[in-house]
Amino acid sequence: MSVAIVVVSHSEPLARAAVALAGEMLQGGEVRVEVAAGLDNGSGGFEVGTDAMRIKEAIEACVDADGVLVLVDLGSAVMSAEMALDFLDDPTLRERVTISPAPLVEGLVVATVAAAGGATLAEVAAEALDATAAKAAHLADPPEMQTDPSSPVEPSSPVEPSSSVELVETPPAMSGRFTVRNPHGLHARPAARLVQEVRRLAADVELVNLTTGAGPEPGSSMIRVAVLGAAQGHEVEVRARTQEAVDAVVALAERGFDESFETPHEPAADQEPATSAGGPRGASPGVVLGPARRLVSAPLEVSEAGGTPEEESGRLDVALAAARGEVEATHRALRQTPEAEIFEAHLALLDDDSLLGRARALVAEGRSAAAAWTDAVAEVHDEWAALDDPYLRERAADVDAVGEQVLRSITGVAPAAMPAAGVLLADDLTPAEAAALDLDLVQGVVLAAGSPTSHAAILARARDVPLVVGAGDLARTAPDGATVALDGSTGEVHVDPSDEVRRDFERRAEAEREQRRTALDAAQRPAATTDGVTVVVGANLGSVADAELARASGADKAGLVRTELLFLGRDDAPGEDEQATTYAAVAAALDRRVTLRTLDVGGDKPLPYVAAPAEDNPFLGVRGVRLSLRHPDLLRTQLAAMARVADDADVEVMVPMVAVPAEMDAVRALLPEGSSLRLGMMVEVPSAALKLPALAAHVDFVSIGTNDLTQYAVAAERGNPGVAELGDPLDPGVLQLVERVVAAGLPTGVCGEAAADPAGVPLLLGLGVRELSVAPPAVPRVKALVRTLDTASCAALAREALTLPDAAAVRRLVAGS
Amino acid sequence: MTDALSLEQLRAWVDGFAASVKEHREELTELDSAIGDADHGSNMDRGLRAVGEALEAKPPADAAALFTTVGMTLVSKVGGASGPLFGTFFMRVGQALKGVDAVDVAALTAALEAGTEGVVARGKAEAGDKTMYDALAPAVAALREAGAASPGEALAAAASAARAGAEATVPLQARKGRASYLGERSIGHQDPGATSVALLLEAAAAAGGGARAT
Repeated sequence: MSVAIVVVSHSEPLARAAVALAGEMLQGGEVRVEVAAGLDNGSGGFEVGTDAMRIKEAIEACVDADGVLVLVDLGSAVMSAEMALDFLDDPTLRERVTISPAPLVEGLVVATVAAAGGATLAEVAAEALDATAAKAAHLADPPEMQTDPSSPVEPSSPVEPSSSVELVETPPAMSGRFTVRNPHGLHARPAARLVQEVRRLAADVELVNLTTGAGPEPGSSMIRVAVLGAAQGHEVEVRARTQEAVDAVVALAERGFDESFETPHEPAADQEPATSAGGPRGASPGVVLGPARRLVSAPLEVSEAGGTPEEESGRLDVALAAARGEVEATHRALRQTPEAEIFEAHLALLDDDSLLGRARALVAEGRSAAAAWTDAVAEVHDEWAALDDPYLRERAADVDAVGEQVLRSITGVAPAAMPAAGVLLADDLTPAEAAALDLDLVQGVVLAAGSPTSHAAILARARDVPLVVGAGDLARTAPDGATVALDGSTGEVHVDPSDEVRRDFERRAEAEREQRRTALDAAQRPAATTDGVTVVVGANLGSVADAELARASGADKAGLVRTELLFLGRDDAPGEDEQATTYAAVAAALDRRVTLRTLDVGGDKPLPYVAAPAEDNPFLGVRGVRLSLRHPDLLRTQLAAMARVADDADVEVMVPMVAVPAEMDAVRALLPEGSSLRLGMMVEVPSAALKLPALAAHVDFVSIGTNDLTQYAVAAERGNPGVAELGDPLDPGVLQLVERVVAAGLPTGVCGEAAADPAGVPLLLGLGVRELSVAPPAVPRVKALVRTLDTASCAALAREALTLPDAAAVRRLVAGS
Repeated sequence: MTDALSLEQLRAWVDGFAASVKEHREELTELDSAIGDADHGSNMDRGLRAVGEALEAKPPADAAALFTTVGMTLVSKVGGASGPLFGTFFMRVGQALKGVDAVDVAALTAALEAGTEGVVARGKAEAGDKTMYDALAPAVAALREAGAASPGEALAAAASAARAGAEATVPLQARKGRASYLGERSIGHQDPGATSVALLLEAAAAAGGGARAT
């Protein structure tokens, strides 16, 4: 049986007449159409109105159909139809019912025809929604034609978001052309840049691929742009209402969509991508011998069962926000590397009108968030996978990756993880999986599929994990635990190698380790600039393991020891003994000076044993020293533990979020009697940076937390992708704050991301900073960088940077120096 | 003994609401003719008459059954948007009172909150959209604030809040329902749905007035 239709109208004569009109189109076909219109007046007649119970009965009369499309007229018809779904005796029937926002008469006519032709429910629904397209096209010109605003206006029918980008409206008046220069065509990254520009222009831009005839497609959706299949050399027409918009897009295309065409770290870039034929290939250098391991993950199950559309819509939004946060974090970690572009494309997908519109429309139809998202992703995947361009086909994996990440967030299923240390064998890795690999456990990776240009390969190189791709069955059949030998430079892989091969690999691995040792040895020595100025490069730590890694990496000190880990995730505060033991262990593991930071939490991370009122703005609320001073016993205990460790180790203490001298005095008053602990402050509050001379007498040293200082100075929340571009610590305003802090003459360190940023280091040195503290693995790299710089050039660079308008200009200045 | 409303009082509330709507039928219809389709008064009256018949035919055993019957009947008999909206409201109130022995101020507050949430979910209205929600929301807030007061006092506070809320819809521009099609011309008229809510709470205050229990 085909799809059935239920007509809901306030007026029973209107519904009957519409059904008769639609029946004339059928020409012999048969479609079940039920009417639930008007209000039974109890004496055989009808009054104007709608009745949810009658709609329910009409839907249930169609129980045998392949699906039920409910067409509704105005206002209460929509609510009564929604209510009828709540009343259905068999709740599973609900999954086969779609309430359509299509106009009643036109929608009924085309839906009847489509249903008679055997179309699916989704197809019938789509047809109905497009029912006014013919009228719209006919009436489209001239644009001046408008309805008189003073007369009652019929509301335009609500249009499903996904179709709003597909409807071809008035052809825009202006046009221009460009030839695609980008080697991989208008793929994810340039497409994302294009969409960004089109949105910035707030113009209706359409694109046609003149070479293939594909399009027109809206320039505001990355997914639709990808469907153009515009490869290098293709000619593309740009259409827009204004010449300005056309010119802007053409100019962007001529700049190659701001993509750098060099593809560093891509040894196999000249090979045909997207293929695993031709045997295993090296994709990230390194030699490893280890037991075979596979990722263990809970299966992802997509349940159709869900709450109300409002609840499901909320779940979808929360999951999207969570996925955005994760992708943004990865993107930040890879900032300044070409790999970051992968995640820019992912962020664009997570914000794509076409993808989100489809998912939201399905949720509005009553599907669960998980089911709606899965279907929307599958649709886009299929569209991309059907494209001719192999590179774009491969990018369908991006869609899947983003799709799975969001789905995991909706369903709360944790991503796959390594069960134990060894060599990871897998069919392929999503970028999210590759980015989440636990480097403590993953010694190397062998993929059955994949290519050296895949995101997983790019990430493996960025994270220094040896990788072989295209290993085929070898990766699938090797038993768990079998010894795997791999060389990520040559692509060799052996399962259960012979003694001879094993010895050969052990030799190569040893040679490699030797090389790394040499690099680490250099890191163990102090770093000085070419003009002989020593720069202390410390590490930021949170645990004893960090301290061990920092020592191995050559950290000169611990510029920041976070103590939060000790306090989070427990029901009562750690006592003085426990704290002292932990701090002493960190100091002993590093065996160099450590700067312990007192507890730095706020309303965003409430502790069960610290009463704190809920705050609308926890980052501007009671956090850091403000919170510590409200709980003096907690702070007194922490300071006592720190003072105890200072008896045997080189320890100093710094206090977060200080805004006024009184806070430092209050902290000092809580030190144990007679303690001579060095007490410093973190500079994160912009006003504190500006009035440091007034604070100087109250502190022994300062450490600039550039991450928080930046977010407060530029008013851009960290972790909010919408303002990520603003939150760059190299903003000249932030650099001016750093300059003011240094000018106060106290010993000054920097312990934010800027200290490890290749563009940030020369500027900080130029501003007079002589102490940096970075993540432990970054210590060798930062020391190597320091050794290439001279302070006079850095100072000149910094002076110029201070005069620039924004961080992007500063980065261009440093890149060009 | 806590201050609680008896089943008789709750029934008197519903009957009082029906009588009040009947009495104000022309006024409600007039309000609706200014910004809607001139059927609110007659629709609500028709629905509430049917409610009276249904309650006579099968007297409810408890508060939950009472309000569920009211809701189900309104859904089928009112016809306009008020059917699903008031219907949802009463059905949610009924659900919230399931298994509740003493309908005291706390239970009443929770039930009206649930009903209001149902209205918002069904109609997707927000404060200031010029809808019944603009009278319901302040009424529920007043109930919540009344806290320890007797049901009579609490409902009296809720009723005057609902009335003030309804009157405050006069300068608003409708953003939901048929009235929204009128755009700015909906300004200057009191919303009929919000007015009915005021009648509902006033009926509640009258019925609950004698609730100060032993």
